[in-house]
Amino acid sequence: MASRGKSLIGKVPLVILQLAIAFLVLAPFFWMLSVSLKPANEPFAIPARLWPDNPTLENYILAFRPEFRRYFLNSIIVSGATVLITVPLALLAAYSLTRYQFRILSVFLAAVILAQFFPAGAMIIPIYKMVKAANLLDTYASLIIAYITVTLPVAIWMLRGFLTRVPKTLEEAAAIDGARPLRAFFDIVIPLARPGIVATTVFVLIVTWQEFLFALSFTSTKEMRTLPVGMNDYIGQYGIRYGELMASSVMVSLPVIVIFFFLQRQFVSGLTAGAVKG
Amino acid sequence: MAYGFMLPAAILVAGLMYWPMIDTFRESLYATTFLNPNPTFIGLKTYEQLFGDSTFWQIVRNSIIWTIGVVFLQNVGGFLIALLLNQKLPGQGILRSLILLPWVLPGVVAAILWRFMYDPQLGLINSFFMRLGIVEHGVGWLAEPSTAMAAVIFAAFWKGFPFSTVVFLAALQNVDQEQVEAAKIDGAGSLRRLFDVVIPAIWPVAVVNVLLTTILTFNYFDIIYVLTRGGPLNATAIFPTRIYEVGFGQFKFGEAAAYGSLSVLVLVLFVGLLLLVQRRQVKAA
Amino acid sequence: MSNRMLKSAALAAATAWLLAGTAYADQTVIKFWDNQQTESGLSVFQQEAVKRFEAENPDIKVEVTTIPYPEYQQRLLTAVQAGNGPDVSTVDQIWNSAFAVAGAIQPLDDLAKQAGIKAETFFPGAWESANYNGQLWGIPFNVDVWFFAFVNKKLFQDAGVDPASIVTWQGLEAAAPKLTDKSKGQFAIGLTGNKSEYPVGMSDSFIYSNGGSVLDDSGKCVLTSKEAQEGLAFYKKMADYAPAGILNAPNEPMRELFLNGTLAIELWPALEQPTLDKSKIDWDLYAAFAPEGKKPVGMFGGWNLVLYKASKNQEAAWKFIQFMTREDVNGDVVDLIPANVNAAKAFLQKSRRKPDMILDHLNNAKPRPLSPRYLEVSEVQQNMMQKILSGTPIADATAEACTAIDALK
Repeated sequence: MASRGKSLIGKVPLVILQLAIAFLVLAPFFWMLSVSLKPANEPFAIPARLWPDNPTLENYILAFRPEFRRYFLNSIIVSGATVLITVPLALLAAYSLTRYQFRILSVFLAAVILAQFFPAGAMIIPIYKMVKAANLLDTYASLIIAYITVTLPVAIWMLRGFLTRVPKTLEEAAAIDGARPLRAFFDIVIPLARPGIVATTVFVLIVTWQEFLFALSFTSTKEMRTLPVGMNDYIGQYGIRYGELMASSVMVSLPVIVIFFFLQRQFVSGLTAGAVKG
Repeated sequence: MAYGFMLPAAILVAGLMYWPMIDTFRESLYATTFLNPNPTFIGLKTYEQLFGDSTFWQIVRNSIIWTIGVVFLQNVGGFLIALLLNQKLPGQGILRSLILLPWVLPGVVAAILWRFMYDPQLGLINSFFMRLGIVEHGVGWLAEPSTAMAAVIFAAFWKGFPFSTVVFLAALQNVDQEQVEAAKIDGAGSLRRLFDVVIPAIWPVAVVNVLLTTILTFNYFDIIYVLTRGGPLNATAIFPTRIYEVGFGQFKFGEAAAYGSLSVLVLVLFVGLLLLVQRRQVKAA
Repeated sequence: MSNRMLKSAALAAATAWLLAGTAYADQTVIKFWDNQQTESGLSVFQQEAVKRFEAENPDIKVEVTTIPYPEYQQRLLTAVQAGNGPDVSTVDQIWNSAFAVAGAIQPLDDLAKQAGIKAETFFPGAWESANYNGQLWGIPFNVDVWFFAFVNKKLFQDAGVDPASIVTWQGLEAAAPKLTDKSKGQFAIGLTGNKSEYPVGMSDSFIYSNGGSVLDDSGKCVLTSKEAQEGLAFYKKMADYAPAGILNAPNEPMRELFLNGTLAIELWPALEQPTLDKSKIDWDLYAAFAPEGKKPVGMFGGWNLVLYKASKNQEAAWKFIQFMTREDVNGDVVDLIPANVNAAKAFLQKSRRKPDMILDHLNNAKPRPLSPRYLEVSEVQQNMMQKILSGTPIADATAEACTAIDALK
């Protein structure tokens, strides 16, 4: 579908479409930004205006409270640990799947996919009881374990596609040269699968970064809340503190977008390989 | 080694997902409410009651309309946007990153944002339409039973399309350019090339993506709960919002469990049907 | 997990443990849960009160957990159901009897008698809400009436209407069209109608003020009574002068509209005053509305403190409940109005306009039905309101609602 050879004028309709999509995606964000910059005592205008009369950073200063920093730290710990555990495990599992006949693992993957059908809302109390029985309420461990369980199958599924594309002949050649299998894995398979590993990492990161239900159910103290749950702090019975809520949301989203800007190329080619072979 | 790692993972999945689901089903066979800590076994009576309740059937219908609507938009819309982003145009790298914003945003925040956008008086959407002269006064898009479902579907499309777009974009980049060029030399127009070369090439990805978005959408709670709570007149009530409302809103755990168990059944049937249609198509082709 | 990661996780866990506080071996630790309102910065005051309690009772340590409102009900229910609840918590008045029937909380009659706690100490509606089946199940903590009419004086002036005239139905009916100008996006009154507790509470006040009720003393539904139907009919009539989109309107956009000067009357608890004081709106408040010759009766709401059966520190927990509802403490630890009448008087004099009017409205207010299955009653009422507001005749909608409510038993 590359449109080489088209004149610049031929591209005008496409650029207009491009702008339309940017508008669709960004209008709500622009408005979010505008609310985040609105002084708390400036009422909402009617009809709605895209920019506040007296923009201010006061909501950002208020929102960047010690609790927020704590939630941020918690989110980084939980997402970071999940990524650091899930990705290597998934790599090993995916590798075994592509190199050896491993029926049980396939059955296991299917079982986890089926578990995605279950209605989380109906299972909160039983899940909570399990976590309590394991004495893991209000711990990072409970969240990390839950996130690994959810992301691991998808990660295996994504990585498997990449590893199948790494030709076995390369490893065999290495084996003939006297390299042990583990060495071949590290020296040959991992470098070739690097884009896939990056892609999987970003996927796991985004999923855990915005997870809500487990984070809500397994933690009760303020010290253990993660960012998505922490957003509830601004929502009361009688009103919503829109300015600070939106300022926090901007601060929550930007780091991920910046990371993604640098990783997008690898991520894009990574997802395909997994999906195609899946 | 592989088995050594499988065992703990299997225990986790069993403990964290299968056991709670079994427990939920078991609970649906008892007259469980918060008020009744020692419930009696009543078998399938709760299910019988639900089948006789018009609200239940409305929820089944809504859930299916909601899922089809969101999945259709996310996949068809996501694919078309991916086609556009796959063109060589200025600013594509930034646009590809920016379209991920909706996906990164916490679900509750996205939902609050859209509730505000749709507000008849305060919202940006009405203000925009009024300026364009499309509507005269603010319209309560979420307040009319006839438009509420479409409005929540659109908000969910916005929140979820980046995932589909990224997947399709990746798939498009892997389409064999030689085949495209060959078709071009044979004189095929761009629409022709799209249907004869590109779509068949990405079809496997599309099938997986449709299945994935179907499962995620069917169980998606945040958007509808914050936007309408299932109203007006239950026009947007779906399984997840109803389960929450009955369980935590009215303390009726047994009935919520029955709704939960039935939601799995409905989703299995729905996905089964999808797979059947897909297999037929493959055979026909 | 890398070494550094492990270290920082361990460090964070250690910090969390430290933050949770250090308890001495001979100290009793009790857990107190409360929901947190976003606006009042209440938790600071609660922490001060807790320090005072701990100074008075050096052998007791209180662990306060404040939980954002949207997740409070789910968290409390999950924890209690899994046997992991607090020792003491606030519960919404409308949950109190359900928690009692569920066997989750202690009856407090004997303890209250020994401690000399009397009904007269608290507002009658609040005390009533803590009683069920002849027993006392909680101590009223905070209260408010969800039926104050906050008025935008400027809009009334422009329309040439005396704000005081709206306290009667007749006055409101005459004023509403004058206060509404849809072409300018201006509306007379902020009514709700979404699927939630808000329209139930609001319409209850209309029914109560006309002498009607939701359930009678025997627990039978009386929404079909003449008084109730008239109240609902008036609500429906006023909906024509409310902001568009009432079928999905919660209370919260009504506040934004009042704050930006396009809504003439906002129905809200007295707790709205601090928010309005910060705005540029020139406002006043009245006890809202009743038919001519009748006295307005607002819907009473608030929170009670309960003592959990599973608590292993009953004595310490009870001491804490007594402390929090004491005259000299209650006013400092609530964001609504103290349920302790003397504390409330001092609180209102200090921080609310028209304190006597508010006090009178509080004394006169009526709680929602005290059934342990209230939440199910409320759902029926929610559906009823949505039907009425979308055009179903009131007689039909109320008849259907009563059939459903009476079938709950």
